Amino acid sequence: MISLEETKSVNESLIREARPASVPRRKLVENDRDFNWITERVCGIVEGGTPTWWWVCLLVSGFVSLFTVIGTIYLIAAGVGVWGLSNPVNWGWAIVNFVFWIGIGHAGTLISAILCLLKQNWRTSINRAAEAMTIFAVVCAGIFPLIHVGRVWFAWWLFPIPNANEIWPQFRSPLLWDVFAVSTYGTVSLLFWYVGMIPDLATLRDRAKTRIRQVLYGFFAMGWRGSHRHWSNYEMAYLLLAGLATPLVLSVHTIVSFDFAVSLIPGWHTTIFPPYFVAGAIFSGFGMVLTIMLPLRSIYGLHDLITQYHIDCMCKITLATGSMVGYAYAIEFFIAWYGANDFESFAFINRAFGPYAWAYWIMITCNVISPQLFWFRKVRENPAAVWIICIFVNIGMWFERFVIVVTSLSRDFLPTSWGYYSPTVVDIMTYVGTFGIFTFLFLLFLRFLPLMAMAEIKAVTPQADPHHHDQGGSH
Amino acid sequence: MSTSGTKENRSDDTRKAAGEGFAFKALLIGGAGLLLTLLGLLVGDSPRVGLGTLIGLTFWLSIGLGMWFLIMLFHLFDAGWSTVVRRPMEHATTIFPWIGAVFFVLLFFSLFASVDDGIWKWMNEDNTVIVAGETATVEEDVLYHHKSAYLNNAFFFLRTLLYFGIFIGVATILRSASFRQDGDGDGAWTTVCRKWSAAGIILGGLAATFASLDWIMSLEFHWFSTIFGVWFFSGAMRAALAATVIVCLLLVYVGSFRGVFKQSHLYEIGRVSLAFTIFWAYIAFSQYFLIWNANIPEVTYWYVNREYGNWWWVGLALLFCHFFVPFLFLLFYQNKIRPGRMLFISIWILAFHLLDLYFNILPAKHAESGWPYYSFGVSFWDVTAFVGIGGICVWAFVKSYLSQKPIPIRDPRILESLNHHE
Repeated sequence: MISLEETKSVNESLIREARPASVPRRKLVENDRDFNWITERVCGIVEGGTPTWWWVCLLVSGFVSLFTVIGTIYLIAAGVGVWGLSNPVNWGWAIVNFVFWIGIGHAGTLISAILCLLKQNWRTSINRAAEAMTIFAVVCAGIFPLIHVGRVWFAWWLFPIPNANEIWPQFRSPLLWDVFAVSTYGTVSLLFWYVGMIPDLATLRDRAKTRIRQVLYGFFAMGWRGSHRHWSNYEMAYLLLAGLATPLVLSVHTIVSFDFAVSLIPGWHTTIFPPYFVAGAIFSGFGMVLTIMLPLRSIYGLHDLITQYHIDCMCKITLATGSMVGYAYAIEFFIAWYGANDFESFAFINRAFGPYAWAYWIMITCNVISPQLFWFRKVRENPAAVWIICIFVNIGMWFERFVIVVTSLSRDFLPTSWGYYSPTVVDIMTYVGTFGIFTFLFLLFLRFLPLMAMAEIKAVTPQADPHHHDQGGSH
Repeated sequence: MSTSGTKENRSDDTRKAAGEGFAFKALLIGGAGLLLTLLGLLVGDSPRVGLGTLIGLTFWLSIGLGMWFLIMLFHLFDAGWSTVVRRPMEHATTIFPWIGAVFFVLLFFSLFASVDDGIWKWMNEDNTVIVAGETATVEEDVLYHHKSAYLNNAFFFLRTLLYFGIFIGVATILRSASFRQDGDGDGAWTTVCRKWSAAGIILGGLAATFASLDWIMSLEFHWFSTIFGVWFFSGAMRAALAATVIVCLLLVYVGSFRGVFKQSHLYEIGRVSLAFTIFWAYIAFSQYFLIWNANIPEVTYWYVNREYGNWWWVGLALLFCHFFVPFLFLLFYQNKIRPGRMLFISIWILAFHLLDLYFNILPAKHAESGWPYYSFGVSFWDVTAFVGIGGICVWAFVKSYLSQKPIPIRDPRILESLNHHE
């Protein structure tokens, strides 16, 4: 058989002819920052004094998160009637909010796992914060289905725990698969986040000036000494977790899409739902990563670590996934007509021109049209413009789930059972409160854990390249 | 120095002459195959020959389309490792005009075929269709009337022209920019390729989707599935990656890729191939599962028909041999770096990709009972069409290959690719 590694009959004349045109790759760390600068800058966020804005934001977000707490207590005390649910719209904001948050929770693991498998080094500056975002988004997402079950004290029935009364969950329902998918995803994401953080926790431990910091960071660093054996085991564990997390990223939103697609409801039962939901989740996740990281980049002066190249890459992924979502909207609409099923055609015409047309066109404008601005370099290089577009993406993706859930349910097969759904104050406040929870948790992360994967960033700097000196490197 | 230069020139000339001889043989075989297929369309069981030709066409086209998408993805991602394997892919996109020419012959055959002899039955209003369990004509079919604004001969013809226009146009621009960079080493060609890849991926995504809806899904025009275009794309990517492995290993065998195409390239292709194996299964499963689970007769019949007779075994073969075997095989590192093993799994994937196309295309003609008219089998005319179109594709590839450098020698990432390590 042919050997690819033999050196005898190499086509040397051809290899000699190879003289690359000059199109240099963009740097992942600007201004030749050295290892020490990276450590000081990232650890400085945790070790420096607590800024006033952090206290203000923490208090405000803590206060806002009380909305969810109070809304939930009221819901449990009074029953789900306090929400705007009724026949025929018996899934309302709770499911919309669940899908919205779980979608946002996709970018973190995507950046960490899939981009790791694809050897995309630009992920190193943003993966840590994105993973943290994932976990906090999953926390927010998990609240809604839990309180939606009605009698929350029976929520443990969702787990297949054999008991004397033979209460078994309905294994044929994707709502149950959600329980397993989301809890597995949450667990693996947490594990992945933590494992990736161990070398950086050890750095914080080694730099700690107070006893309590030494003990806590020391405990969570699990005795990391940075030996070759530690690194070897760490990298293998990280790779295995990346391999495990990748199918999970896809499976979670696939199963969320099954919540709708396995039904017979027009507008829900369509075969493109699984990949379309996954693309939408990545889209919304990247929208949220940029929403968070752009202000932090300015506040902490991280321009040399989160460079224009990183922003470009994220904008391009947002553009690509936004276009995929647009493709799915278009093909759904086309096949609804092509399928010649009156109910299906009606569902889509009703979306675009019925009583919820305003929501549909907000969705189209935010999700399909606004990311198209990322085609232009000038837009990508304007952080304010990128941030505003990402806010549009966040809004659009919430409306996408609203359009799917509410328009299809409010007008299904029988006009006699049609209705118009409106949320109550409890719906609205419970949802708003989750932004408080999300921000509160993120602020804690920001203050106590390393925001960026220092060890990984250092590994992609020119200084880490063994051939750096051959190329005239100065460090 | 001059002696070795003369030796190299001589060996290059010998290689070129051998290549030209090979291309000529491929052209002869291809021409003969196509002539025989044409004869089959005229004298044989014409719908069967037509469907067999469509299978052959979509098989070879899917390889070209997959490679075209890969070229665009490589440009958009500014990929480093893939530069050496991009060049054979660029040559492969020269097959589009020839595939298009054969496609139009098939299209005209179906347009002018006598009643029930064409392959897209909606093309003739007197053709027989099964409506609610009863036989009727297309003219009497209300579903057809609903779709006739889209499914009509003129529009279908124009769309097919547009699809091939996009495939040929964008592929030609990308190819010629890459070839011209070999000459002048200007980095601006890379920018041209990136810009056209960005436009091409959108245009190509839409064109390939609607082409698959038109050419394959509309064979049974009552049936519909929103994910169908994605299924076609996923299969095309798998076929393209498998074909890339075969072509690159052949180029190593003939000499030009020795020391150029390395274990690390094979490994990377194996990784992408594993990813698309999973992606194909994900898409095929999503379509099957959602249709099966909802159990609505207007769409389930498509799968029910594919459980009839020996199609049941074909379905199982796809599940086990087109997913599980390549999936488990490609999971292992050693299997991705050994040329023999990668060659084996690539041929395997291509064989089952062909079976997948049979599964999607051949049961489209219905008997009066509503069950598939044709059971699974490979006819003589299938072979002539497959070899005929394949021969032309090989000829087009070799002709382009002989006219250019085997690798993009002035590409900005060529050294990264030549020195790539796992």
